[in-house]
Amino acid sequence: MTKGWKGYKAGGFYDELITDKGSPRTAARQALRLLQSLPEQEMDSRRQSADLAIREMGISFTVYTEGGNIDRAWPFDIIPRIITGREWAQVSRGLQQRSRALNCFIDDVYNQQRILADGIVPADIVLDSPNFKAPCMGMSPRYGAWAHICGSDLVRDQRGRFFVLEDNLRVPSGVSYMVENREITKRVLPELFENYSILPVDDYPLKLYETLAQLSPRQRRRPTVVVLTPGIYNSAYFEHAFLAQGMGAELVEGTDLFVDSDDCVYMRTVDGPARVDVVYRRIDEEFMDPEAFRADSVLGVPGLMRAWKQGNVAIANAPGAGVADDKVIYAYVPDMIRYYLGEKPLVNSVPTYLCMREKDRDYVLANLPKLVVKPANESGGYGIMVGPHSSKATHREFARLIEKDPRNYIAQPTLSLSTAPTYVDGQIEPRHLDLRPFILQGRDCWVTPGGLTRVAMKKGSLVVNSSQGGGSKDTWIVEGKA
Amino acid sequence: MTMLSSVADRLYWMSRYLERAEDTARLVAAYNHLIMDIPRGSEPPWDIMIRILDAEQAFEERYRTVSEQNVIKLLIADSHAPCSIPFAIKSARENVRTTRDVLPEDAWELVNELHLYVAESAKSSVGRRNRQTFLAEIIARCQMINGLLLSTLSRDHTYRFIKLGRLLECADMGTRVVDVGAGDILDRAGSRAAIDPLLWGALLQALSATSAYRREVGPIVEQDDVVNFVFAQANFPRSVKFCIAGIREELTPLRNNENALRAINRLRRRLGRLGKEALTREELHAFIDEFQLQLNALHQSISDTWFRTDGS
Repeated sequence: MTKGWKGYKAGGFYDELITDKGSPRTAARQALRLLQSLPEQEMDSRRQSADLAIREMGISFTVYTEGGNIDRAWPFDIIPRIITGREWAQVSRGLQQRSRALNCFIDDVYNQQRILADGIVPADIVLDSPNFKAPCMGMSPRYGAWAHICGSDLVRDQRGRFFVLEDNLRVPSGVSYMVENREITKRVLPELFENYSILPVDDYPLKLYETLAQLSPRQRRRPTVVVLTPGIYNSAYFEHAFLAQGMGAELVEGTDLFVDSDDCVYMRTVDGPARVDVVYRRIDEEFMDPEAFRADSVLGVPGLMRAWKQGNVAIANAPGAGVADDKVIYAYVPDMIRYYLGEKPLVNSVPTYLCMREKDRDYVLANLPKLVVKPANESGGYGIMVGPHSSKATHREFARLIEKDPRNYIAQPTLSLSTAPTYVDGQIEPRHLDLRPFILQGRDCWVTPGGLTRVAMKKGSLVVNSSQGGGSKDTWIVEGKA
Repeated sequence: MTMLSSVADRLYWMSRYLERAEDTARLVAAYNHLIMDIPRGSEPPWDIMIRILDAEQAFEERYRTVSEQNVIKLLIADSHAPCSIPFAIKSARENVRTTRDVLPEDAWELVNELHLYVAESAKSSVGRRNRQTFLAEIIARCQMINGLLLSTLSRDHTYRFIKLGRLLECADMGTRVVDVGAGDILDRAGSRAAIDPLLWGALLQALSATSAYRREVGPIVEQDDVVNFVFAQANFPRSVKFCIAGIREELTPLRNNENALRAINRLRRRLGRLGKEALTREELHAFIDEFQLQLNALHQSISDTWFRTDGS
């Protein structure tokens, strides 16, 4: 048995596989029996085969450093995370509800703005946000869907309850790693699958294609879908290629496309120009069209916005969808669900203090060591202060930042993220993790079974971002009794 | 199926680089066999390979003396030199990395593994002990990738541009090997006539043409027969004629192919004139020189027509 299984203690956190008393959770029992029966060398050789598989499959992500860009192998922990189907069904319903409400909100903001007029969400925080894109006013994409692909980050508290930490509505990434993680586990621990019925995850590209094809302005049996990537040096390029291949779609860069005088989008092909119906953009809207947004963008397609506004092409996610991807707006999602759907939120949000509100700000400034402070408009885990893990100097620095620009900061109680047994340096140790499921919204709404589990590989750390040394785990939704 | 011009461009180059890696490996392997068979002092100079690969400049920038060690180091272990095997494989990999979505899934894994193999083994394969194993492995893996593409790709634009790249590179390499190789043999002017068959044999081996030549022409290897075989044999898949025919076949169904077809027809006419009479060394060289220029023109025409479609 590998060191660390005996006497494994998550230390007061909710552990995904092992209870406080040290016994396996029901769904994890079979898997743990097998993993614990593996001799130490065997465990290590499985880890090595996983590393080899990752290298051979070329699963990588790019890290930007001062010395240039490094293509790193995908960090992967071979012990899967196991969640029961029953528990997941509930989370999944909650995420669908959230996605519907968020899309209602975006559609409302760019049209009647009822929610602002009714004072549910203060108008200024929406209209003054850099994420609000005035050129999108008056647009109503098909099915009222703006954020067609959403990646929501979930965490569990001490009692094992799921909370949504944020909704990524711009260009969420990570889904290809979800699919590849399963592939790796199948290769290196095939025995684990014998006693389980695990929901498959490899049909994601198909579901994505179905969602995108529904958006096509032309009614065709097989609409032309393209994946628009900023190029090979983007950290998620691997994923862009993966999805294009999975959908049988063209992977294009800005220079492959052009908008003609008929306001339609074409790609340059060896047979001449070919009309494009749907653009799945993996490029920030700021860079999407130098005519409409940043004029200095060389990545974009001049006129793309024009074509979209004429209804000649569908863009996913729709330009402007980022207006709901803001940590201040996040605080209002439960209100949106009640307002648009007349329903009770099915999945929890984390209590959020908005520093723009005086009362909240006073509380935040007085309790910095207890709180997590985040800039409203950053992603990738940058610019975050985790109060309990930060020095007094950092607390003072953030107090200054908050007072200077209160609109740009929110604070949340430090959540005790759940843990799972993780194989680190030859031992089993608890490590914190989160979960990013992906929600597709077209005519219907669909949620991935599970999602991408990210692990903070450093002891005690809560930062799971792969750009900051995080790893990942295969995530199983298992049905029936295991 | 539609094909992006930029993707066609990359597929073409991926294929050229893979072919180049394989051909370079064959060339070095053949030369290695040769030097073990002939008396010391009679072997062609080491830099013959440098001349074949047009790599004089890269060599001179790095080394002062022409030695086995230096030449081999440049060709099989210097990932920065454009004439080297590691460079070709690195470039092929970069091109596959950006065209994964149109290739069979295994293609990326195979090319990536090949790249890792070269990165790990090239340095330790400069010495004679590991050299042949290394080269054999490169050739085998390139063939595996070609086999995968041949047996799984639909016969559409993806396959078409891959085939164009491979055939053009193959024709290019064939003409280079004959030009420099034959030149070297003829320069000796029969001074060591006893080893001439070995040299012509090595030339055939460098083009993987040995057994095909034997079946078609017979066991005796002579200048005119070899030149004719490499250039004008219609059935041998690495002969220049076969490559040109294959290129023409793939160009025919493409749109806007007028210029490229004109270029290919010039090459065909030129090949047709070969073999009517024996050529002197100078005539052969002049012939190949002209042929190379026209091959280049063909490449340029393909590139202008299908890869740079800036005018919308």
